[in-house]
Amino acid sequence: MMLAALLLVTQVAVQDPRLERLDPDTRVAVAAVVDSAHGVGLPVEPIIQRALEGVTKGASGARIVAAVRRLAVDLGTARTALGTSAAEAELEAAVAALRAGATPDVLANLRDVRRPPLTIALAVLADLVASGVPADSAAAAVLALAPKARDADLVEFRRAVERDITLGAPPGAATSVRLNAGAFDAPGTSSTQGNPNTPRRRSRP
Amino acid sequence: MRTLALIGLACGVSVHGLCGQVTANVEAGITHVQYDGFLASGAASISPTMRWQHPAGRGFLSARGTYLQFQSGRRSLDGSANGSWFTPLARHWRGELGVAAGASDYASIASFSHGQIDARLHVMDEDRGGWLAATLGRSSFGGGPRPVTVLAVGAWLLRDDKTMFLSLDRSFIGDTAYTDLRSSAQWRRARIVLEGVVGARVWSRGGGRGVFGEGSATLTLGRQAALVLSAGRYPTDVVSGSLAGRYVTAAVRLGTITIRRPPLPALPTNPHASGSNGSSSMETRLEIRAQQDDEVQLTLFAPGATAVEISGDFTDWRPVPLRRNPASADAWVASFRISKGLHRINVRRDGGPWMAPGGTTRSADDYDGEVGVFVLP
Repeated sequence: MMLAALLLVTQVAVQDPRLERLDPDTRVAVAAVVDSAHGVGLPVEPIIQRALEGVTKGASGARIVAAVRRLAVDLGTARTALGTSAAEAELEAAVAALRAGATPDVLANLRDVRRPPLTIALAVLADLVASGVPADSAAAAVLALAPKARDADLVEFRRAVERDITLGAPPGAATSVRLNAGAFDAPGTSSTQGNPNTPRRRSRP
Repeated sequence: MRTLALIGLACGVSVHGLCGQVTANVEAGITHVQYDGFLASGAASISPTMRWQHPAGRGFLSARGTYLQFQSGRRSLDGSANGSWFTPLARHWRGELGVAAGASDYASIASFSHGQIDARLHVMDEDRGGWLAATLGRSSFGGGPRPVTVLAVGAWLLRDDKTMFLSLDRSFIGDTAYTDLRSSAQWRRARIVLEGVVGARVWSRGGGRGVFGEGSATLTLGRQAALVLSAGRYPTDVVSGSLAGRYVTAAVRLGTITIRRPPLPALPTNPHASGSNGSSSMETRLEIRAQQDDEVQLTLFAPGATAVEISGDFTDWRPVPLRRNPASADAWVASFRISKGLHRINVRRDGGPWMAPGGTTRSADDYDGEVGVFVLP
């Protein structure tokens, strides 16, 4: 039985010649992860790519195996949240969002409120967090926009937040302002008076 | 202010995650002002500001001071602080509870102080919303404090890079009462922000009346600098004790302003993530242009490099040398077949370490390094 299992995983490795770049022990371990992922219907290309990335970067076999295992787990989490019909690109973007701090519930909510593909929405979510926006604020913003906004709208939203941050706004506030506008920016409000990041009347004597 | 300074200090030495939520800047400028009933005067101003934003976006604390030195030799000192706490967004609703306090002094002749509590209810949709607000507080000018009550209602509309507001508030400060109707618009593009406010004070008893309007332009000059030009007329604020006046001001703002490169064409990459926080962006910048079918041209700007390689999931992570662009010594180009979706990329120059290029979203790569992430829509 052990021999059969070994032959099986080795066969996967042989089937994809790109894995020849891995040392034999690592190749067997990575092939096992690939085969396991394939068995449960997860995309294997991202896993193979993650292994190849490790090779190029001179990572040890142990690090490569740990990375592909972690990715496989994250892909599984993403698939559970987004559903079995999720495309490979969506799952990869979902993994990026999860690692940025989004929760599986956020992904599931996004799936419920927006028609696929979700790739751009998920990428925008990950981008916002990478910009320094707190994960829950970024998730709330994307979820609020998701039902109606087009992909281009989401990209523009992210750019608008970028512009606000460029002008000195804290990332969380920039997102809230862009999403809620009036909540932080309403003229004559206490919030406005205390917001150091809006130029309004800054230079008034 | 002391508390905020302590928060900033604490962030600086121990709570790295919060530091991204602290901003501070100083604005220095010259102004020409004429307060109602007074002669026109020139003045120099300096105004430090500090703000702390809750990491989860649930609130903020802010403090600001202004020192004005007039031509006459007299000076004005003003300080204020406020904070707000926001409830989580519940479908279209969000609550806000805020506090504010401030004090001002003009040449040891006139001194004001005030403190207030605000409650606000926001309703918001994707690109529009409104709010209801009530404020209770005290305002003091020399003698005993006077009660302050303000009721306000407002609406906002977001259109692309423009934001428009309309608000109506009724203020009661002791025996004084007035209503302000205000409309404003804000337009942002690249490094410029233009903003205008017009309004009218009506139904006034002791608070003056008339129309007012202000405009400002902010131009980001550099990594931590911006030029601010503003002018207009504003009404008396009985709560904080600011007199109505006309002014023209030019100021330079120095502080936490960061430069971003313009967004790349057709790609939702994140210049900030790798553009302003890491050294890699200082050395390389990637532009991605989709061509026909899955053909994508990558252009890497790497000033001073003698060799540039690229590696990514679209090369099966095999390093591929780029060729120098004949038209630009700093630009290196290559074309690849790249499918739609999320992609990971690294670059290296002159055989150095693999880096996430500027113009992509920088992310940890599982191998103690960084990888650039971009999406082809």
